[in-house]
Formats: sequence, C-alpha cells, structure tokens
Amino acid sequence: MNTPDGAAASPTSDSSHDETTALAPAEMFALLNDQQRAVTAKMTGFVPTIMAAWGGAWLIGFTALFLIDGAAPAFSLPIGLAIGIFVACLAVAIGISIWLGVRSGRGVKSGSDFSGTVYGVTWSGGSLAIAAIGGALLQNGLSPELANLFYPSVFIFFVGIMYLAAGAIWRAVPSIIAGAWLLVIASVAPYIGYPWHYLFFALAGGLGFLLFAILGRNLLNGTSAYRSAGA
Amino acid sequence: MDELDPVIHAQARLRIMATLATLEADDSITFPRLQELLEMTAGNLSTHLRKLEEPAYVDITKTHRGRTPITYLALSKKGRRAFEDYMDTLRTVLGEQP
Repeated sequence: MNTPDGAAASPTSDSSHDETTALAPAEMFALLNDQQRAVTAKMTGFVPTIMAAWGGAWLIGFTALFLIDGAAPAFSLPIGLAIGIFVACLAVAIGISIWLGVRSGRGVKSGSDFSGTVYGVTWSGGSLAIAAIGGALLQNGLSPELANLFYPSVFIFFVGIMYLAAGAIWRAVPSIIAGAWLLVIASVAPYIGYPWHYLFFALAGGLGFLLFAILGRNLLNGTSAYRSAGA
Repeated sequence: MDELDPVIHAQARLRIMATLATLEADDSITFPRLQELLEMTAGNLSTHLRKLEEPAYVDITKTHRGRTPITYLALSKKGRRAFEDYMDTLRTVLGEQP
C-alpha cells in the first residue's frame, strides 16, 4: 500500500533538521525496535512495583497469620491483630495496584474493551463464588481447622487462574509464570497443614513475588537503554 | 514492496508509527501522552503527525472532557498496514525473511 506521491520523494530531500531524515536501513530497524521497547518499558514499568507490593503484603500478612499459633507457646499474636495486619497488607497492595495501573494507562482510550471488562467482573464474581462455596461447606460441617486450609488455598488457586487468564488475554509471559507458580503454591500448601502452611505462603508466595519484581525490573532496565534521536 | 515508504522512512515519523503500533487495534492515545512517550516537542510532533495524516495513516479524533479539548491519535487500518509493509520491506532490504 504505497502512497500515490510516494515514488517521487527522496526520503532526505525535505530535511530541515535531523529527525526528518532517514538513517541506513539497519539503523532505522534498530531505531524502530528501540522505540517499541522504550514504550513497552514506560507502559509496563509499574508491574515490578506492583509485584513488590504484593510480595511485601504476602510476606508480612501471612507471617502475621502464622504467628497466631505458629510460634506458640513462646509467642502468640492475638487473632484479631493478625487478621487486621493481613487485611491491611492486602488493602495496601490492592491500592498500589489500582493507583499504578490507572496511572500507567492514562491517556490511552480503549475502543472496545470487552476482554478487560469481562476479566474485571470475573475477579469479583469468582471471589463471591468462593465465599459462597466456603459458606456452604461450613454449614455442612466443615471444621474451622479445615476452613483455615480451604480458604487461602482456593483463593490463591483462583488468583493463579486469573494471572494465567491475564497472561493469555494480554500475551504477558511473566503473568503466566506467576500464575503457574501460584497454582503450585495453592496445591502444595494444604499438605503442609495449619499453621505452617501460612509460613509457606509467606515465604513461597512473598519471596516469589519479590523475586519476580527483581527479575522484571532487570528485564525492563535491560530493554530501556534507548536514548537517541531525541526531539 | 521493494521501496521503503517515504512517509514513514524518517526518524521522527518512524518513531511515531512504531509507538502507535504498540497500541491495540481499537485503542487510541492522547496527544500529550504520545508526546511524553516520544520525548518530542509539541510542535515537532504536530508537524510529523500532519505528514502522517495526509495519506490517512493516522486517525485523529478531537473530543472534549468537560471544557477541555482532547485529541486522540491512533493508527488507521491503512496506517497499520503501511507500517507492517514498511517493516517487511526493511527486513527484506536487510536480507531477513519477512
């Protein structure tokens, strides 16, 4: 699809300053790739920060839950305080995720964001479904001890599936890796049993997210070396 | 196919096209955000956008949020195709398989 007037113009004939000229094909190809990498780095640069926020939240939050009974009788965190810390950690991580997510998408308007909308609603719908299933199990005699194993694992399983779905929809390999990792953690944890499964979540999940954050940061730094042809 | 599209074949316009091509097909981006991603002056960006608008490579939509005018930019279908052709030609010139 060439432009009608395309054949005549020499690419460099109208140059009044650098940016209007063309470079050698190899350099133009490098410029193109550098530009796209730089844009990707700017648009997704917030992801490692979100990962780090979740890493911190898991590490502190699940350690708090572990300390209800995990270090007894030497030390025991009051249950109300432990749950308070856990909920506060999640709230902070969710807040950071939303804030950075909205900020990175500023100035970009989606034409028809069908996948995004369905994905967003699935988060709430799935969470409610898990709460309902858990409630039914409790009504039918699920012990609080087993509920302690059921809820975190099933929620983490669900989060893992949602990460995998996000990776599939938006073609994000890191999201797929994180999702797969969460499925492994969710499946293994119930075998460890209460209260050690909380320590397992804190370490495997929390440190896992922190590791993903560091790897992601290095990956982005490696690709944002672009610095040339500035206006 | 064997000649590089002269509209795209300039550093600034190639960078603009490459940036717009990273958006999903139905997405568009505001002028200031695009300017920020490209690190170009507003005047420079406007000049090159006009050149990309002439062959209808770029769709420019002007709208309002409250009383503030907002300009959204996106590659047109023709522009996306031209950019893909440009990349193919570039790869051919460089001896790669497109």
